[in-house]
Amino acid sequence: MCLGIPMQIIGIDGYNARASAKGVERDISLFMLQDELPAIGDFVIVHVGYAIQRISEDDARQSWELFDQILAESDA
Amino acid sequence: MPRSARDWLDLIRALPLREPVRIMNVCGGHERSITTAGLRGVLPPQIELIPGPGCPVCVCPEEAIYAAIQHGLRDGAIVVAYGDMLRVPVNVPKDEARSLEQARALGADIRPIASPLEAARIARDNPERQVVFLAAGFETTTAPLAALLQEGAPDNLLLVMAGRLTWPAVAMLLDSEQPGFDALIAPGHVSAVMGSDEWRFVPEKHGLPAAVAGFSPESLLAAFYAVIRQTLDGEADLTNCYPEVVRPQGNPAARRLLEASFAIGDAPWRGVGSIPASGYHLKGALRRHDAREQLPDHGAEQRRRAGEMPPGCDCARVVLGKIPPTACKLYGNPCTPRSPIGPCMVSDEGACRIWWSAGTR
Ligand code: SF4
Repeated sequence: MCLGIPMQIIGIDGYNARASAKGVERDISLFMLQDELPAIGDFVIVHVGYAIQRISEDDARQSWELFDQILAESDA
Repeated sequence: MPRSARDWLDLIRALPLREPVRIMNVCGGHERSITTAGLRGVLPPQIELIPGPGCPVCVCPEEAIYAAIQHGLRDGAIVVAYGDMLRVPVNVPKDEARSLEQARALGADIRPIASPLEAARIARDNPERQVVFLAAGFETTTAPLAALLQEGAPDNLLLVMAGRLTWPAVAMLLDSEQPGFDALIAPGHVSAVMGSDEWRFVPEKHGLPAAVAGFSPESLLAAFYAVIRQTLDGEADLTNCYPEVVRPQGNPAARRLLEASFAIGDAPWRGVGSIPASGYHLKGALRRHDAREQLPDHGAEQRRRAGEMPPGCDCARVVLGKIPPTACKLYGNPCTPRSPIGPCMVSDEGACRIWWSAGTR
C-alpha cells in the first residue's frame, strides 16, 4: 500500500492525468501537485493514485529496476 | 558521477567503527529494499539495522477493523479497504468473522481498492448505499485522502479514520527509557510529503544522527554512511540522502490539504496503546463523512482483547523494533504469509512478512 511508484505522464485533463509505468497505464490525480503542475512527458511518484512529487527520468528508471527486483522476490 | 552501492559500501567498511551502532528505519519500503538487497549481510557486523514503526496496516487499530467488519455485515454498507487490510485478523470468538475477507465470505460486500479515487467512484456508482472506507495509512496515504475530500467526495462515502503520523512514534520511543536505537533513517516518501525538516527533532532534541533515504541500495547506504560518520564525529545532524524528491518543507500543497481536512490528536496504535498527537481526525464540516458519527456503534471497544494483537503474536514489539521478527515464537510455525497470525505477516510492509519472503529463517 505504501509503495510509491514512478510513472510518466502521458495525458493531462485538468487535475486528472493518464500515466504509464513500463507499459502499464493508470488514471492518476495531480491534485497534490497543484502548486507546480507537471507537463506531459514528466515523471512523478504515484502513491495510491495520487502524484505526490516530481522525479527525474533517471531516478524514475532506477526505481523501476528496483521494483522489478522486489516483485520478482515477492512472487517467489 | 553519483556513487554506486559498491562505492558506498567501501566507504562504510573503511570507517573506523568499533562500537556497535543500531540504525532504525521507520518505513516498510526501506525495510523491503534493505532485505531484498541483502544489505544486512554485507555491512560490518557492528552495524545493526532495525525495522521500526513503518507498517501502517500493522498498527491500524483492531477496533477500526472490527467496526468496518460490522458495518459490512450488519449495516449493509459496502466496505472498501486497501488490499492488505482484508486479511488482518481481529480478536473475536471462533464463530464470528475474524477479518474483512471472512466477512466477505459470509456475504458482506467488501471490496479491495488501490486508491481513494476508487472509493469515491464506488460511492458515486452506488448513490443509494453507504460506502465505508477503512482509511489506514501514514502521511503518504492520508494526504491523497485529504486531496479527495478537498476536491469533493460524495456524501455517502463514510470514513473509518485510521490515518497515523510517523514521527510521533519515533518521538515516543526516544522519550522512553530505552529507545533501542542509536541513529534513524527517516522515511523517503513521508518526507517527500511532509518535508525533511519534520525529522530535525531527532538530532536537535535527542542528539541522535539522522538521514532521510530513498529506496535504492545506493540511497540507503549513503544514509547509513551519513549517520555512522555523524556518530564517529560525535555530531548529530539531519542529512538528506534523497534530495531529488525530498525538500525541507516537503510538498506544501499536500500539507495544506492535510491541514484543511484533519485535526491531529492522540490515537491508538494496535498493541502499543495511545500515542500523543499521532492520529488524523476529520475536522469541521468533513465530520459528516465520519462513519463513527453516521453508523451504529457495534461495541468495538467493549470486546475482550479489543485493541490488542492476536493471542501469542508479538507484532507490537516487532513494530517498535524491540525484537526482530525471528524472535517471535510463532514466526514460520504456524505464522507464515499463507496463514498469518498477526498483521506483520499479512502486510507487504510488515517486517515479519518481508523477512519471511526474503528467506530469513
Ligand atoms: S511472526 Fe506472526 S505471530 Fe509473530 S509477531 Fe510476526 S505476525 Fe505476529
